[in-house]
Amino acid sequence: MKSIRQDWFSNIRNDLLAGIVVALALIPEAIAFSIIAGVDPKVGLYASFCIATVIAFAGGRPGMISAATGAMALVMVMLVKEHGLQYLLAATILTGVLQIAAGWLRLGSLMRFVGRAVVIGFVNALAILIFMAQLPELTNVPWLVYAMVLAGLGIIYLFPYLTKAVPSPLVAIVVLTAIAIYFGMDIRTVGDMGQLPDSLPVFLLPDVPLNWETLKIILPVSATLAVVGLLESMMTASIVDDLTDSQSNKNRECVGQGIANIASGCIGGMAGCAMIGQSVINVKSGGRGRLSTLAAGVFLLLMVVFIGDWVSQIPMAALVAVMIMVSIGTFNWASIRDLRTRPKDFSVVMVATVVTVVATHDLAQGVLVGVLLSGFFFAHKVGMIMYVGSKPEDEGRVRSYQVVGQVFFASADRFVSSFDFKEVVEKVRIDVSRAHFWDVTAVSALDKVVIKFRREDTEVEVVGLNEASATMVDRFAVHDKPDAVEQLMGH
Amino acid sequence: MKMENKVLACVDLSHFADYVADYASWAAKRMDAPLKFLHVITRHPEIGSGEDHSGAIGIDSQEILLNKLSEQDAAQAKVAHEKGRVFLNRLRERAIAAGVESPDMKQRHGTLEETLVEQEDEVRLFVLGRRGESAEATNRDLGRSVEGVVRALHKPILTVTEGFVDPRRVMFAFDGSNLTRRGVEMVAASPLFRGLPIHLVMSGKPVQDGQKQLEWARETLQAADFEVIPTLIPGDTERVIAGVIQEQHIDMLIMGAYAHSPLRSLIFGSKTNDLLRSAKIPTLLLR
Repeated sequence: MKSIRQDWFSNIRNDLLAGIVVALALIPEAIAFSIIAGVDPKVGLYASFCIATVIAFAGGRPGMISAATGAMALVMVMLVKEHGLQYLLAATILTGVLQIAAGWLRLGSLMRFVGRAVVIGFVNALAILIFMAQLPELTNVPWLVYAMVLAGLGIIYLFPYLTKAVPSPLVAIVVLTAIAIYFGMDIRTVGDMGQLPDSLPVFLLPDVPLNWETLKIILPVSATLAVVGLLESMMTASIVDDLTDSQSNKNRECVGQGIANIASGCIGGMAGCAMIGQSVINVKSGGRGRLSTLAAGVFLLLMVVFIGDWVSQIPMAALVAVMIMVSIGTFNWASIRDLRTRPKDFSVVMVATVVTVVATHDLAQGVLVGVLLSGFFFAHKVGMIMYVGSKPEDEGRVRSYQVVGQVFFASADRFVSSFDFKEVVEKVRIDVSRAHFWDVTAVSALDKVVIKFRREDTEVEVVGLNEASATMVDRFAVHDKPDAVEQLMGH
Repeated sequence: MKMENKVLACVDLSHFADYVADYASWAAKRMDAPLKFLHVITRHPEIGSGEDHSGAIGIDSQEILLNKLSEQDAAQAKVAHEKGRVFLNRLRERAIAAGVESPDMKQRHGTLEETLVEQEDEVRLFVLGRRGESAEATNRDLGRSVEGVVRALHKPILTVTEGFVDPRRVMFAFDGSNLTRRGVEMVAASPLFRGLPIHLVMSGKPVQDGQKQLEWARETLQAADFEVIPTLIPGDTERVIAGVIQEQHIDMLIMGAYAHSPLRSLIFGSKTNDLLRSAKIPTLLLR
C-alpha cells in the first residue's frame, strides 16, 4: 500500500510533465530505431508505447524509461532482412520469455561481473552505433540535408538557453518540418520510410509456423536480444539509482522487461529495453515515479495516432539531428579524457569492448569480450600477490620455505618454480600458513613440489595449511596418500 | 554503562516533541536510565524536482545532472541537519531542566521505521508522539507512521499525546493473552510504575477463566508491592476502557498492541488503533 502510493502518486505534477517531455523525445527515436531495424515506423512506435506502459507497472526501477531501443534494433537487422516482420514478432515474444526466466533465476545479480570498464565500453559502443546508423541518411544527399541537420542541432543545443520550459528537440522538429513544407523541399520524410500507425494497436499473435524450424531461426536472435536488453536495462537502472540516490529491484526489472516484450510482440511491436538517454532526460525533467513512465507511453500513443499525418511530414534530417543528440548524450566523454590517466587494463578492456561491438554490431559479444578480458586482467593482478621466501636452518640440513599470498591457476607455475629442487638438503619445510590455495591447480602444484622433493630423497613437511587451503588439499591432493607418486606421474 | 537500557525519545520537528521529551524525562528518571533523543531525517528520493524540460542531452549531461542533484540534496541536508540540531538542543535543555542527567542526542538519516529497528538493541523503552509533523497540518488523530513503527518494534513503546501530567493513576488493560501476561510480569519487575496504584481492567467478551487470569495478575503485581485495583467489566473493550479512564482519572494506560496481522487490521480495523484514537492519555504499548 505504502509503496504503491510512494511509487505512483508522490510526485504527480513533475511525473506528468516529465512524461510529456520524454514522450516527445521518444517519437523520433522510435521512428529512427524502426528504420535501423528495417521495419515500418509503426512497429517501433507501438513497441515504445507498449513497453513504456507495461514496464510502468511491472518494472523494478520507478522512473526508468523503457521503449524500442537502438541496441535491440541492431540485433534484429538480419532476422528482419532474411525472414521478415512476423519472425521478428515471434522472436520478441521469445525474448520476453527468456528474460522472465532470467529474472526468476535471479540472473540480475550476475551484473556484478560486468565491471565499470565494460559498462563504459558498452555505452560508448552504443553511442557510436546509433551515430553510424544515421550515416545512410547523410551520404549521397543534397547539401540541403546537411544544412537541415546542422540547423536542427543548433536549435536543440541553443534553444535551452532561451527557455527550458519547452523540449528543444521538439522545437527543432517543428521548425524543420515547417521550413521543409513551406519551401516544398524535395528531401526524404518519415512518411517515405514506411507505414505509420493509423489506429490504436490490436492484439495479434505472430503469423509463423510453430515448429522446430522457426525456433531454430528465432532462438539465437532472441537469446542475444534477451542478453542485450537485460544488460542495458540493468546498466540504466543503476544509473537511475545513482542519480536519484535510491534502490531498485533488479530481478523484478528483469521479469518486467520480459513481460513488456511479450506484450509488445503481441501487438505488433519490436523488442525493446531500458534507454539510458531517455531515462536521464526523465530524471532531469523531474520524473521519479512510475507515473512518469506510464505518462510517456500514453502520451506517445495519443500524439502518434492523432497527429500521425503531421508525423509523416517530418523530414528525416530533423530525426537525424535528434539521434545525433542522443548519441552525443549517451557517449561517455569523460572516458576519452581519462584514457591516459586510468590504469592501462581499464582502458584496454573499455576499448576492446567498443571495438568488438562496432566490428560485430552485437553488443552482447562486446560485453562478453570485455568481461573475459577483465577476468584475465584480474587473475593476472591477483596472481602477482604471491611470494616464496626461504632460509636455511639447522646448519644447512634443513631449508625452510615461506609461501605468502594467493596460489591459483594464474600463479601456480610461478609457485612451482620458486622452489630449488637441486639443492641437497635432508629436509624442507614449506610453511603455507600465510598462503591461500584456491583451486585444484594450486593443490596439484603443491603436490608436484612435494613429489619432486621426495624424488631427490628430501623429506618434506608442509606446515600451517590454513582452513581454506586445508579443505582444498583434503579434497584434491594426492601427496599424503600412499600411492601418491604413481597417481600423479602416471607410472 | 549497560548497552540495552536507554530511553529513546523519538522526535520530529513538531510541537508534540516537547511532550515526548517530558514523558521521556519522566521515564528516564523513574528507571534511572540514560535518555537519548533521536531525530530521523528522511529524504524523499521519490519526489523529483526539475525545471529543465528541455529534453536535450549533450556532452557529459549524465555527470552534470548527477552533480546538480547531489548538490541540491547536500544543500537540503545541511539545512535539515542544522534545524534538527538546534531543535534537539532545546529538547535537551528541557530534559536537563526536568532533572535528567546528561541526555544524549543523535540525528540519523533514513526512515523512522528502519532507524528505530536499528536502535532497538540498546533501548528498553521507546517514547514517541502519536501525532507529529504530518498531523499538524491534517488534524488526524493518529499519525500515519505509528502503526508501522510499533509493529516493527519488539520493545515497549510509550506513545504520548498533547500535554504532560506527572502520571498518578495507571490502568492496565488486561485480556489474559500471553502478551499482556508478559506485560504484567514486566510491569511488576520494572521501576517505571513503582508506587503508583494500578487499575487492572479486564473487559470484552466474558471468557471462562477470566476471573482466574485476573487473580493471577493481581497476585503477581501485589507480590511486587503494587497497589492493585482489579475490575472485570464485560462489554465493549473500547467503551469500557474509556469509561474507566474517565471515572478513575487515569493518566496512563498500559496495553498490548497489534497482536493481529496487518491484513486482519486492514479488513476489520485494529482494536489498538481504535483505543489509541479514543484514549487521549499516554499509552504504553506492549509488544
